[in-house]
Amino acid sequence: MLEAFKAIKEKHLEAKKIIDEATLGAERIKQEAVQRGSSVYEEAYGAALSQAEQKANEIKRKTAKEAERDLEKLLSQAEDQAKEIEAKAEKNFQKAVDAVLNMILH
Amino acid sequence: MESTRAITEVILQEAKKSAEHIIKEAQKSAEETLEKQRQLGVQRANESVRLLLKKAESEAELNKLNSIANAMIKANWVILSKKETWIDNVLNEAKNELKILTQSKEYVPILEKLIIEAGIILGGKELEVLLNEKDSALSLRLDKLAKEISEKTGFKTKLRLSEEKPKVVGGAIVRTANGKVIMDNTFEDILKRREKDIRFKITKILFK
Repeated sequence: MLEAFKAIKEKHLEAKKIIDEATLGAERIKQEAVQRGSSVYEEAYGAALSQAEQKANEIKRKTAKEAERDLEKLLSQAEDQAKEIEAKAEKNFQKAVDAVLNMILH
Repeated sequence: MESTRAITEVILQEAKKSAEHIIKEAQKSAEETLEKQRQLGVQRANESVRLLLKKAESEAELNKLNSIANAMIKANWVILSKKETWIDNVLNEAKNELKILTQSKEYVPILEKLIIEAGIILGGKELEVLLNEKDSALSLRLDKLAKEISEKTGFKTKLRLSEEKPKVVGGAIVRTANGKVIMDNTFEDILKRREKDIRFKITKILFK
């Protein structure tokens, strides 16, 4: 009977040791998580910012392309306008010269 | 003895189960802690991200507007300088035609008219007429012109051709005998005097 109690007590002690070790391990896991927490925070913060920077660059690229298209349109309109001016000026040139002479002589 | 072994087995099994549970719970808690930190990082970054994107959008828009505005200024400048060139061409052609006119028979009555106009503006009396070398050789009826000025001004007028010969294309300078008041009716001066109106008129006709 005494042998039996002794054996049970030993196993109790062994069980306690297992649980104590597990508790210690759990504590270590939690501590490590707390320690890693700040770097996880920094990583998440940095990743979000880096993603945003990429998006910002994309916005700038897209807007620059839009501007390029608008500039091409503007340039083409200016060229058309210049051609129109040339055509009108050629057509009305003598009429304008006559008007100047008229203003000076009459 | 068998029952004792069974009891101790149970004790050890229970202990191992509990230990496993403790570790699992710790791992779960650790994962939650890390997830919370990750979310906190994202959340804190959100405001910076919002500002960064807003800044990028306004910078990009500003750059776009700047380049378009610059291009518009440049395009307008090109068009305006093209117009200016055409206006100058008209003026140059008009000057050429005035030169040609001075060699035609139509010129004399025009010159006489310019002298009369100048004489009237000066109010008649003793006046001196300055013509270029070529026009000085023309046979102008100065007495007749003086008579017309007298009629218009009500003052007896005398016109005298000056020895001085200005280097002008055409037209006349008329001045009082004492030289104090001058009326410049040369083509050059008329053009200069009326340049603003003339350019306006050219623009209206040329680009209509």
